[in-house]
Amino acid sequence: TFSQLCVFNYDTKNVEVRYAPWYIQDEPRFAFRGLMLDTSRHYLPVDVIKQVIDSMSFSKLNVLHWHIIDEQSFPLEIPSYPNLWKGSYSKSERYTVEDARYIVSYAKKRGIHVMAEIDVPGHAESWGNGYPKLWPSLSCTEPLDVSSNFTFEVITGILSDMRKIFPFGLFHLGGDEVYTGCWNLTPHVKQWLDERNMTTKDAYKYFVLKAQEIAIDLNWIPVNWEETFNSFGGSLNPRTVVHNWLGPGVCPKVVAKGLRCIMSNQGVWYLDHLDVPWEQVYTAEPLAGIDDTAQQKLVLGGEVCMWGETADTSDVQQTIWPRAAAAAERMWSQLEAISAQDLETTVLARLHYFRCLLNHRGIAAAPVTNFYARRPPIGPGSCFVQ
Amino acid sequence: MPPKLLTHLILALVAVSGAAAARRHPAPANFTASGNPVYIWPLPKNFTSGTQTLAVDPDLALDPQGAGGGAAAVAEAFERYRHLIFSPWAHAARPASAGYDVARLTVVVASADETLELGVDESYTIYIAAAGGANSIVGGATIEANTIYGAIRGLETFSQLCVFNYDTKNVEVRYAPWYIQDEPRFAFRGLMLDTSRHYLPVDVIKQVIDSMSFSKLNVLHWHIIDEQSFPLEIPSYPNLWKGSYSKSERYTVEDARYIVSYAKKRGIHVMAEIDVPGHAESWGNGYPKLWPSLSYMRKIFPFGLFHLGGDEVYTGCWNLTPHVKQWLDERNMTTKDAYKYFVLKAQEIAIDLNWIPVNWEETFNSFGGSLNPRTVVHNWLGPGVCPKVVAKGLRCIMSNQGVWYLDHLDVPWEQVYTAEPLAGIDDTAQQKLVLGGEVCMWGETADTSDVQQTIWPRAAAAAERMWSQLEAISAQDLETTVLARLHYFRCLLNHRGIAAAPVTNFYARRPPIGPGSCFVQ
Repeated sequence: TFSQLCVFNYDTKNVEVRYAPWYIQDEPRFAFRGLMLDTSRHYLPVDVIKQVIDSMSFSKLNVLHWHIIDEQSFPLEIPSYPNLWKGSYSKSERYTVEDARYIVSYAKKRGIHVMAEIDVPGHAESWGNGYPKLWPSLSCTEPLDVSSNFTFEVITGILSDMRKIFPFGLFHLGGDEVYTGCWNLTPHVKQWLDERNMTTKDAYKYFVLKAQEIAIDLNWIPVNWEETFNSFGGSLNPRTVVHNWLGPGVCPKVVAKGLRCIMSNQGVWYLDHLDVPWEQVYTAEPLAGIDDTAQQKLVLGGEVCMWGETADTSDVQQTIWPRAAAAAERMWSQLEAISAQDLETTVLARLHYFRCLLNHRGIAAAPVTNFYARRPPIGPGSCFVQ
Repeated sequence: MPPKLLTHLILALVAVSGAAAARRHPAPANFTASGNPVYIWPLPKNFTSGTQTLAVDPDLALDPQGAGGGAAAVAEAFERYRHLIFSPWAHAARPASAGYDVARLTVVVASADETLELGVDESYTIYIAAAGGANSIVGGATIEANTIYGAIRGLETFSQLCVFNYDTKNVEVRYAPWYIQDEPRFAFRGLMLDTSRHYLPVDVIKQVIDSMSFSKLNVLHWHIIDEQSFPLEIPSYPNLWKGSYSKSERYTVEDARYIVSYAKKRGIHVMAEIDVPGHAESWGNGYPKLWPSLSYMRKIFPFGLFHLGGDEVYTGCWNLTPHVKQWLDERNMTTKDAYKYFVLKAQEIAIDLNWIPVNWEETFNSFGGSLNPRTVVHNWLGPGVCPKVVAKGLRCIMSNQGVWYLDHLDVPWEQVYTAEPLAGIDDTAQQKLVLGGEVCMWGETADTSDVQQTIWPRAAAAAERMWSQLEAISAQDLETTVLARLHYFRCLLNHRGIAAAPVTNFYARRPPIGPGSCFVQ
């Protein structure tokens, strides 16, 4: 905050604090104010992750949700299963354990937590490059083989290795978009299901809960995408934090069941949805529909998600900013205060100023007033009006 | 005693294309001792390599030698490259008892003269070998150069030879021993930045300068001012920067000096431009009638060349403005005469300040015979201009907009790469009059959010055209060897935090079309 009060005066060539004396007493509304980075659809070099962390600190975002691995690539070193990162795009699009520790340490210096994610059992096709046995079959490469002990040995190994790297209390286990169809089509899996009188839906629940136990044994609180809650919410470990993403109105149901919630409603806080203007990002409210104070406390906060299908080093920051800043204020500032501002005059002017501040600090924040995100400026002009 | 110069090239003619490899593991082409792409960009003039892999000590020490080796600029450059070569955790992870093949980088600089002027000697040699090798007495790496700027070029090449091995977690030099002898083909290898259409903060200009140094571009043509905004402080006319977009979208003289100094440490000249008489609408915000003093800018910009613009001069409203029409009539001048008068008068002022004037090509096309003979003509309108310029004995810089205007997004990298500054010039004496070329990043739709994404990777294609030897780059197969090498360099830029766009998109600065490896997109 102090750095934002200091302004360079081009007449006197001094740095000044204007409108002094200042007395500021500040604290965040929500404890969990996140940005998710996807380094599987595109590898992001460590230097780029550092730039993202720096820019998070400028708007007081404090959780980097690192979606490290997904179908397309497995870039992280896992010492107990060293072939896993053969699933990386190339030998150099990888993170060593030292890189991961370094990122955690870099973030910590800025008061930013790193919440790692191992998305299981879906979104895990890349795991089989190093260990094909994890695939139910060569024609069924996703989800992971629920019938195999080896699958859970590998998950245990991954989580144990990661426990030494990621001290944050929450660990994300994914659990979204699990298409179990080919479990039924793979003979040995079908047999396993039949022996236990399980449907594939039961097996999905079984998988998620078993992964949760591994995380809990390692002293983690598990976070799971909302399908797990929608499908078998009553069976989830009571410590579970449910990560909403599919749409609005989910956190009210989650907290009504006594579980904690993180809001990432894709209609407003998915940064890869380029047609969501900053006003919609800004006005999205994590406590919408939750009136009971005790239940409100179960909403840890929210997270904007930078899915990486079309975001790589060349455009990731341009896609994240300035809209992530709109969410950052929603998650830090007091509800009454931000609701009282006029969106198209006061907030817009302030967001313009902050966008220019980001640019001044070398962050490639896109123009504020374009309809689509990450578009170039339409023509010559001042930072403060584009 | 350095080994004798080896003159034969080992040059890749056929690449094992990364694109042909498995979709999931599109690794760059395998590196073997011969017949494969060399992942140094731009391609050095002469080099030989071998089959050994040498481990580089994360505590690599600088061993400065020669009259210029002790220069602060060398030590600072070494520190910058140390941070680029090694991970931040490498020192802490270094085993105490480890032995490395390369523990010391000797940098020998013959001259202590740090003057940076056009044509400064940028040549260097690199020798890297293990101890006990046939040609070496002591193992390690040595860079030798005549000037500190040659040494800085050598450090960049050295940094590209250093590769992190994800199995051993060491930094390695592969295909050693290396002997490289390198120097640029053209002395003027430029990138133009336009900070009038969009103000670019100093931090962004620094990022651009850093990225230029990675591909050995050496002239930042700073198109500071234009119609839309006047962002630079001019102390003798302090109201001029009232033409800035806002009070904070400005450069103080200290900012400008700092940029020049930041560039100098990387051996990069800054050629400033005051575009007159056209493109100067923003000046009127401060002074309705004026003639600025360039003398203050002389103190900020030491480069020998100064750009006076002179393009797109639409003189129509001179005739429509009574006092100007009167002035013309009194002198029996047409507006075209007045255009010439203006340009020549500006040139005189620059020359009095010991500058060589650079002017956009309209000045040559309109009154080439009247231009001061020192003039450097800056081609931009199309191809085939430099041949005419040098035939008249004037020097030329090529920026043919059909290929080297970076704001033209529909020019793919192949067209950028194959553009040849000496096209149509066969006479050797005339060829020497082509100083080099420049890619131009006009700012109408380029601001902080997308400028680097627009510049790279296509500027790299031009950078190799301007640095490397004509025969060598022409010999490479474009869609296998060069593409593989450009992919690798694009990924290197990304690794260094530069937002270089995908190579294989048709339009520049477009996002990747979907998930994938850096090396194939």
